[in-house]
Amino acid sequence: METFDIIFYLFALITVGSACIVVFSKNIVYAAFSLLFTFFGVAGLYVLLQADFLAVTQVLVYVGGILTLLLFGVMLTNKVISVDMKTGTLHAVPAMILAAVVFGSLAGLFYATWSGVTAPASSIISTARPIGEMLMTGYALPFEVASVILLVAMIGAAFMARRPKKL
Amino acid sequence: MNIPVTPGDLLAIGPISVMFAGALVVLLAESIFRNGEAWNRWLALAGFLAAGTVAFLNTGWSGVAFGGTVATGGFANYCAIVYASAGALSVLLSTDYLRKTGIAFGEYYALLMIAVLGMMLMGAALDLVVFFLGLETMSIAFYVLAAFARSQGTSNESGLKYFLLGAFATGFLLYGIALVYGTTGTTSIPLIRDKAPSLIGTPVFTIGLALILIGLLFKIAAVPFHMWAPDVYEGAPTPVSGFMATGGKAAAFAAFLVLFRPEVLGGEKGLRDVIAVVAAASMIFGNVVAIAQSSIKRMLAYSSIAHAGYILVGVVAANATGANGVLFYLMAYTVMNIGAFGVLAMVENGAGENLHFEDYAGLSAQAPVLSLMMALFMFSLAGVPPFAGFFGKYYVFAGAIQAGYTWLAIVGVLMSVVSAYYYLRLVVMMYFTAASASPRRVGKSSAGLLALGIAVAALVYLGLFPSTIIDVTSRFF
Repeated sequence: METFDIIFYLFALITVGSACIVVFSKNIVYAAFSLLFTFFGVAGLYVLLQADFLAVTQVLVYVGGILTLLLFGVMLTNKVISVDMKTGTLHAVPAMILAAVVFGSLAGLFYATWSGVTAPASSIISTARPIGEMLMTGYALPFEVASVILLVAMIGAAFMARRPKKL
Repeated sequence: MNIPVTPGDLLAIGPISVMFAGALVVLLAESIFRNGEAWNRWLALAGFLAAGTVAFLNTGWSGVAFGGTVATGGFANYCAIVYASAGALSVLLSTDYLRKTGIAFGEYYALLMIAVLGMMLMGAALDLVVFFLGLETMSIAFYVLAAFARSQGTSNESGLKYFLLGAFATGFLLYGIALVYGTTGTTSIPLIRDKAPSLIGTPVFTIGLALILIGLLFKIAAVPFHMWAPDVYEGAPTPVSGFMATGGKAAAFAAFLVLFRPEVLGGEKGLRDVIAVVAAASMIFGNVVAIAQSSIKRMLAYSSIAHAGYILVGVVAANATGANGVLFYLMAYTVMNIGAFGVLAMVENGAGENLHFEDYAGLSAQAPVLSLMMALFMFSLAGVPPFAGFFGKYYVFAGAIQAGYTWLAIVGVLMSVVSAYYYLRLVVMMYFTAASASPRRVGKSSAGLLALGIAVAALVYLGLFPSTIIDVTSRFF
């Protein structure tokens, strides 16, 4: 067990543990706050995978943006805080079978391909620059289309949320 | 990789550029003019026609743009023509419907155009990233369109249901893309195709493909991923249902043809058999359950599940005949199903009534032209020659028999016979049943009738001269 492994398991534990709280907590504020740790843990895993840009983006977008919005949404909707959420289970047996099958096949996949995985290169290269260059050259189209997606999402959200207008 | 992007790239993906520019113009018009909707319907129609024309002029050649991430011309433009015609017909059929249901907002047309933009990207994608973004663009526009009648509970339910299940399906798709990228080291579809023969049988690659398959099967509403279709199609505004059932399905099938080429599918025997079973299950389930429906909108929803099954037969065939059949079927299905939903939208009143079989009793006496067109759409959906629906089925089944999937073709033919029952039941209702006592008001919309007339003309033309399409599509494979 090297230091690297210990840090990995630490982040994995933070991610999985806080994700469990998100799912099982009956209090929506607790759930929202533990989501913070889930996102943070995932960002840590990205760092260990040498995906530095992704890690920073994860913190900026999810922790800084989405989660703050989510918390504001929870706090400002005062009825939500006092209400216990329903976390009961429907169709427990089929769900368990399905989850077991999916988990089993993914675990099997993981062990089948485990031997082929090589350790990452030791020299650490910043990924921000190559990603930026690719987004402006080879992947210019996906980059632009992402803005179209954001546009249609904004139009949709504005349309659904605004007051009824007179014709 | 250092590929400069030039204005030529934007011209090469002409239909997509036109669609985006059109959507922006529509949005601007909505905010500038007081009655934006009245302007927008014509702007949107002009946009769809322009995109269709641009696509049509460039069908002959084919190439790539944006550093090989999108295909241009040929197959991509054929798909663009299908989607642009679906969009144009939907615009014509929507205007009257939106007004009578009180949801005549200009954003409708912008969403319609962005949805078509997403579909065109899916048809043109040569990179999994582009394909995914196109699918999401289309889907987000669909979620909003399904919930467009904001004050109606059913429409909201439809949008929310589609959104939640669609997001779930997207998760599968994305996970599949990640696994395929993990095994091949690239997101470029042609490169994946090249590497596929050496990776066939690798568990990660197969499971990656299977997860992508699940995401696509959800979009086409094939059994067992069809749960959302009846509720979503029933709750959404009628012209939107018609558009989702045709354009959305066509876009997912175009992606099927691009991703699951013979090189990939030919080796993955297991995956191919799975698709064959899904196709058979969709045909059987869709047709049998459609019989029991009393609402025509719901019947058409189940029939769309069945049609997804028929078209999947062409995908399973994984040969040129099957692929041509799929492309022909998509064009024919788009025309006839938008037509059928269009008639529904015209007969429906502002409160969402007159959607049941009984409401169509004796319609032929009251609205002879409309009834005749509905009857023709029903004949074509049932696959009666000489309409386009017959040749669509003929080509996909012929492809399956060539590929050795004779049992699948037999199931398809048997199920077509079953489907004739509920399609013709509507014809019998319209022509041979006495009208009920309560008078019903049938909407009169010249734009709608024009769209239906075009659809009927296309249906008959495609049925009489199917080779005009097949000659074009056979150059793609």
